[in-house]
Amino acid sequence: MDRRSVHPVAWIVWATSAGFVAFVTTDPVYLLLLWAVSWFVYASHRVDADHARSFRLFLTGALVAVTLRTGLVFFGTVNAANTTFSFLEGLRLGTILVIFGTFNAVTDPFGLVRMAPRHLHEPALAAALALSIAPRTVAGVGRVREAQRMRGIRIHGARALPALAVPVLERGMEEAHTLAESMDARGHGAGRRSRYRPQPWTGAALLIALPAIGAAAAFLAASVGGWAVLHPQTSPIVWPEADPLLLAAIGLLAFPGLVRRTEP
Amino acid sequence: MPTVAATALRRPVAAALVVVAASIPMILPAITGATSACAAATGPHAALVIDTGAGTHSFCVALDATTVSGIHLIELAGTQDHLAYGFGSGGQAVCRLAGVGPQGDDCFADYPDYWGYWHGDGHGGWTWSSSGAASARIGDGALDAWVWGSGDSGTTHPKPPPAAIHDVCVPAAPTPAASPSSARSMPPAAPSSGARSSASPGRADPSTDATRSPKPSGEAVVKRSPSDGPPTAGALAAAPNPPPASGGPGPGLLVAIVLGTALAGGGWLRSRSSRRGRSAG
Repeated sequence: MDRRSVHPVAWIVWATSAGFVAFVTTDPVYLLLLWAVSWFVYASHRVDADHARSFRLFLTGALVAVTLRTGLVFFGTVNAANTTFSFLEGLRLGTILVIFGTFNAVTDPFGLVRMAPRHLHEPALAAALALSIAPRTVAGVGRVREAQRMRGIRIHGARALPALAVPVLERGMEEAHTLAESMDARGHGAGRRSRYRPQPWTGAALLIALPAIGAAAAFLAASVGGWAVLHPQTSPIVWPEADPLLLAAIGLLAFPGLVRRTEP
Repeated sequence: MPTVAATALRRPVAAALVVVAASIPMILPAITGATSACAAATGPHAALVIDTGAGTHSFCVALDATTVSGIHLIELAGTQDHLAYGFGSGGQAVCRLAGVGPQGDDCFADYPDYWGYWHGDGHGGWTWSSSGAASARIGDGALDAWVWGSGDSGTTHPKPPPAAIHDVCVPAAPTPAASPSSARSMPPAAPSSGARSSASPGRADPSTDATRSPKPSGEAVVKRSPSDGPPTAGALAAAPNPPPASGGPGPGLLVAIVLGTALAGGGWLRSRSSRRGRSAG
């Protein structure tokens, strides 16, 4: 559960850079490559814990986002150009969701709280709680379903919802309460901050963060300098281009997958 | 779900921001000196220049108020001179002029190509409008221009050919009302967005000269560029460049496919090995 191998800030840098790359382009080549990169990184580094399961949730959310954004074209003029444009916009949003899902799956949000400067501790805690809501809910649903199955309860369809939601919510309240109590007991909220076992910046962390920064810088340069097509034209639809330098930049984002994973 | 809606709204909102960005209303850049030029015409007039990239259309538009918005100027040109136009973002943004531009409500659908908005300085030069057409105030003797092209600012977007109010609204004109034939819409074979930048040498000069030299005959109220006129137009012939890069996937795409396959395959191997490791341990 507690992965101490990689500094969480390295993952923040990676996710921010990858998200930035997805933000500045609607070229499907780069975006689909980012999906592949995310999958590769996720497969290499996922934590076998509850919040790692949320990758699938974000993947589903990304597909829904692509579909919905493409579907929005029906509120306007429906033609090939507009549909392609909407699809690419949706793909960009989906890519950001997948990257976020990967980030969620490879880090422990509460590890991030420890990194926050003292005066930012409470906002960071709130952010970490918010980040962990989705994975906790997914995990809670999984546990409740498992318990129901073990008791031979099989409810399907809409009637399953209250039977599922009530224990999940109840459990969420209980966990939040326990968490608050345990944090209070450890002196959180009193302005103190744990310096217990500070996390070192390892070579692996640098190997994750620095190439990611390089990738983001390449796309920033392309976006500002305009030496590569980041938004392929959709009317008329043309084959998207792929700049070799930017392909290499996306390859840089896959570096975390090459970093050897140390078992806790 | 809110993020989906936010993304969907982003472009219209961006378009609206461009339109509403009028922090400094740019008022009547050319009113001095130009007023006398149109004084011969009855009532206030303003010039509207539309550069589709393949050719330039110029309209001398009679104003129905002391000042009108840039949007209303286009509407007036539509009623007076049959200029074909289409607005988006609730009638706040200019999508389509003279057959060029996106059809729908999203005026940035063809981005990076869009209609850039310029104001004339009254001496032939043009300045990039700092405000949207809906909030710009156009008065007697002013010049407005719309240029189809890419570039997000006045330094990168193509400029209209130099024009002063005299070139469009001929001072000696006894009949200021424009002839209906003046505003022909462009052929639908508009230059595709990619061809635009490379087509710029073709569009530069003939239209400039034609717009500049005032016709002595009084009946020609609206000047036309060669491309707008008879089919002998030189600018029009120069325009149709081959559409860019529609031949097929380039080599970069193949590299990308290889890279993507490698990443996906690597991920699959990793997830398999970690699953096996978990079940073994």
